[in-house]
Parts: sequence; C-alpha cells; structure tokens
Amino acid sequence: MTDTNSMRWRLTGYVLFCVIILVFPYILNNDYLLNKYARYLIFGVLSAALSFSWGYTGILNLGQAVSFGLGSYAMAMALKLRTIPIQTGAGGLPDFMVWNNVKALPWFWEPFHSYTFAVFAGLGIPMLLAFVLGWFMFRGRITGVFVAIITLAMLVVINLVIVDQQKYTGGFNGITDLSTFKAFGVGFDAYSLSTYYLVAGTLCVVLLGGLAITRTKLGLILQAIRDDENRVRYFGYDVASYQNFAFTLSAGVAGFAGMLYTLVMEFASPTFLSVQLSLSIVIWCAVGGRGSLLGAALGAILVTGVQGNLSESPTFLDTWMLIMGAIFIIVVLFLPNGLISLAEKGVRLLKHKSARETATHPVAGAAIATFDSKRVRES
Amino acid sequence: MAMLEMRDVEVSFSGFRAIAGLNLSVNQGELRCLVGPNGAGKTTALDVICGKTRLARGHVRYRDREIGNSEEFRIARLGVGRKFQVPSVFKELTVRENLRVGLCKPHGVFSNLVGRKSGESAERLEALACLVGLADELDHPASWLSHGQTQWLEIALLLAQNADLILMDEPTAGMTGAETHKTAELFNQLKGKHTLMVVEHDMGFVREIGDVISVMHQGRMLAEGAISEIERNPEVKRAYLGSGRISDA
Repeated sequence: MTDTNSMRWRLTGYVLFCVIILVFPYILNNDYLLNKYARYLIFGVLSAALSFSWGYTGILNLGQAVSFGLGSYAMAMALKLRTIPIQTGAGGLPDFMVWNNVKALPWFWEPFHSYTFAVFAGLGIPMLLAFVLGWFMFRGRITGVFVAIITLAMLVVINLVIVDQQKYTGGFNGITDLSTFKAFGVGFDAYSLSTYYLVAGTLCVVLLGGLAITRTKLGLILQAIRDDENRVRYFGYDVASYQNFAFTLSAGVAGFAGMLYTLVMEFASPTFLSVQLSLSIVIWCAVGGRGSLLGAALGAILVTGVQGNLSESPTFLDTWMLIMGAIFIIVVLFLPNGLISLAEKGVRLLKHKSARETATHPVAGAAIATFDSKRVRES
Repeated sequence: MAMLEMRDVEVSFSGFRAIAGLNLSVNQGELRCLVGPNGAGKTTALDVICGKTRLARGHVRYRDREIGNSEEFRIARLGVGRKFQVPSVFKELTVRENLRVGLCKPHGVFSNLVGRKSGESAERLEALACLVGLADELDHPASWLSHGQTQWLEIALLLAQNADLILMDEPTAGMTGAETHKTAELFNQLKGKHTLMVVEHDMGFVREIGDVISVMHQGRMLAEGAISEIERNPEVKRAYLGSGRISDA
C-alpha cells in the first residue's frame, strides 16, 4: 500500500502547487510582475514537457526549443496578419515583407488569417516534425547521446533556416509589432490577468494531466523503457511506438508553450529556438528533478526567477552568472535527482515515523501469516 | 509436429560462425536443457529464436510459422518469452510495477493509455509474487532485491507474460544451493503448461529438471537424449576436453 500512499503525497504536492499559482494574482496585484511570472510559468510548462520525454522515457531531447519556437512563430504569424493596416504594408502585407520587397503574401502565410488554423499549426507542426524525426530515430534503434546529437542538429538547422529566410520570417529580428490575441470575446493582452490565467491554467493541465498519464500502464511502460529498453521489447511491446508517443506529446506541449510565449512577450524571435534556450531547459529540468513533472516545472521557475532577480540587482551585475553556475554544480553533485528529491526525502521521513508508530499493530502480523499460507499452497 | 523447429541454422558474427548448421526441435510442454562448453553457441541459439540475432541461413519455425529474422516484439507476441543471462528487470520500478509491465496484454500504445487496472490482474500479480517468494517485496523498488531475487523477479515477469515458449539463459547463475533447488521445483511445475528451453551450466540443476538434454559443440548439435545416455557419450566427453565427465564442466 506504500504505492498508493506515496501517490497521495505526490498528488497533494501537485494540487497545492496549482492552487498557489492560481491564487497568486490576488496576492500580487502588479501587471509588470504578473507578466514576468507568466513567463516563468511558461518555462515551467516547457521543462515539464522535457521531463516527460527525458525523465520518464529516457529520451534526452536537446532540440526541445524547436517545438517551442515553431509554436511561437505560428502564433506570431496569425497576430501579425491582424495588426492594424497602418503598420502593415499595402494589402495587409506584414511590414518586414515590404522592406524585403516581397510583393504578395507567401502561400504558407495565407492560412494564418484564421486563428483556429494558427492554434492547430502551433501544436501540429512541432508534433508532426517530432513524429517524423522520432520515426526514423526510434525505428533505427538510436538511443542515448545520439538522440541528443540528432535533436540538437535539428535545432541548429531550423534556427539557421529561419534566420536566413528573412523575407518570410523576419530573419534575425523575428516577427514584432503584433496585435492582441482575442478568443471567445476575451482579449489576451501581455500584461492582463486573462493571459496570466491562460498560462497558469495550461501549467495546471499539463502537470495534472501529465501525472495522470504517468499513472496509466502506458506511463509504466515508458518508465520501463527508460530502465531497460530491450527487456520491454521481449514482452511484445513495440518500443519505438511508445518512445515516439512520448517524444511527440512532449513536442506538442512545448509548441503550445511557444504560442503562449508569443502572447506574453508580444513578439517571436529566433532566440526562442536557440541552442542556449534548449540547453537551459535541460538545466532547469536537472536542477528541479527530471524524474518529476512538478520538480522540472519548479526547477524552471526557480532558476529563471533567481536568474532574473540576480541579473537585475546592481550588486550581482557582474557575478550573477558565476552564482548560477555554482548553484547548478552544487545541485548536480549533491542532489542528482534534483531539488524535488529533498521533498521526497522529507515525505519518507514523515512516513517512516508514522510506520514505526503502527509497527506493533496486530493486523500486520495477520497479513504476514496469510502470505505464508499462500506460499505453501503455491509450492 | 514440433512446437519449435530449427533447420540448418547458421549465424555468423563478422566471419566467425557462432552457429554452423544447427538442427533442433522442441515439442509442446517439454523442458529441454541446452548444455555445452563455452562458445558452443547456446546463448546465440536462444538469441536467434527470440529475434535478437539475425540468422544468415536456415529456418526457425514456431508453430508452423517462420519467425527467423522477425522483429523481437512480433515474436514475443506469438508467445515466446526470454530470460537473459544478466538478470534484466526495471530497477527503478517497484516489484509490483515490474509485474504489471510483464502482464503485457494489450500491447498497443493507446489501449494502455485508456485501459483501467483490473482487479483480476492485481490478484494474479500477487499470486505470482507469492510463487517466487517476493510477496513481501511488492512495493519495494527492484533495485533493492538480491541477485537471486532479481533472477526470480525476471522469471515471474515471464510467467506474467504467460509465454508459451520460455527461453531461459542460465536462470540459476548466482543463486545459492537452496535457491537453485527452489528454482528447479518451480520449473518442474511449469513443465507441461509451458514449454521451456533452459541453457544451463549447473549439471546438478540439469539433473533435477531435465528430461531431454541437447548438447551443443562448436555451433552444432552434438548429442541429444536422457542425461544418463549423455553422460556416457564418448563424443560429449571429448568435447568437454580435460574434464573427464560432463558433470565436472
């Protein structure tokens, strides 16, 4: 029964976290800070998505930022097309296209007149890309560090293409000067409460939904694949399909996070699919605890939060990078399972204490006797 | 008709012929021991059956179906289970979770996403844990188990899988005498319901469980028969060079 017990603790932790981020705006009534915390929460979504593929399934995706960036661009394209005509060129052509002598809207921009299409593209394109890449990688039995190298290479290639195709993507500057997203009569201004709640709600759904998935048999099989891929194969499971499921789902969540990021930042930029961001996600995940979705999300929020505060304070202007580096090294050395393992240790101590109190309980003795008689019957 | 038929099987690893024309057939419900000196190709033979190793030539037929060079998970779905020499279980999962993975039907991604835990499978799982003496360890991570217990857990996983043909590679390696004896009892129970192929070095264990013994040498079948016949066979003695009798191997 330890199993259900630890599950109860975990669920409590997740729900508590969700409640905190949902009531947060009532404690803190400041639009600027709300926007900043919304950004951190988006990183939390991104990090939890990596935890699902890396911590649970053992697929280290160093190209997570590809999905994030593509989602972000999909949203930015839709919003750009709705910017009021003064800022766009003749016939509703985005300004950067006018500067680059593009005469007509390219065909692949056309469908982004529709919000519905943009939202589906922001989810679907990263997922499709991940699925196709995953198909070749996992069917080819590519594992471990080679997956990391391939996904990283993919990231670099797509980043280069976006920077290079300035006519269609805004190149280095990205897509700026966007209109406000509106859906179901609600406007999602970057500094508004509605945007904060959209982000916080997404994180809650991702965490609780993710936890639910890890509790199904599918989740169990994913963890089994992480521990011993071959053993799983000889039970008749098609390991490649399972790996691709985790990889693709994780990409979809990252794509959605990217769309939200465009709303919060009010632009899309090639830095959203930079190597630097992609590696940062891995660090957040490792610091918080890759084996836990909540741990990974907390890691992202803590690291980016501390980073933001340190780099803004005049005292640490020159040294904040060193301090961050030291924190990473300490965590990786002394807490290989991340900060969340501290919480897990605490819970175990608590349980240990309560177990000692019930150790002399008569029911326990009876249960052992039943087991013994069962064993005799079996053999 | 035999359940498993291997005909003229050849396997080579970059020029080295690990198996050179192996013929072997195993009947339904049989417990077949596969013995032989080091490098005879016993493990490779199991690898070929479960799809881990590709065969260069020959046929492997399981229930009248060619399975040579099929993908591992497809062979497993036909009812072939495999236990590895180095016990492989899922270290970070609890014993209970390990067994749940072993209860492998259904196999598909989406059916396992929406499927519910059934009470029946929970009972079966606990019965299995009792059978291999791991009932008290159900909620402990597999990494806590001793070597012998890990071996038993993997055997229990195969029983959970409910494979018709179970391939065991040195199942008693690292077990104490008492543990080995208990494993032999377990195997004798399984025989009949399941078909077992056991690669083993421990001749005491083979004597306890084996009906028919197949002796391999240099990638070929050297002799086949009851243990008393095998022990008298001069060719077998010669194969185990220097050790006058097979029992000393």
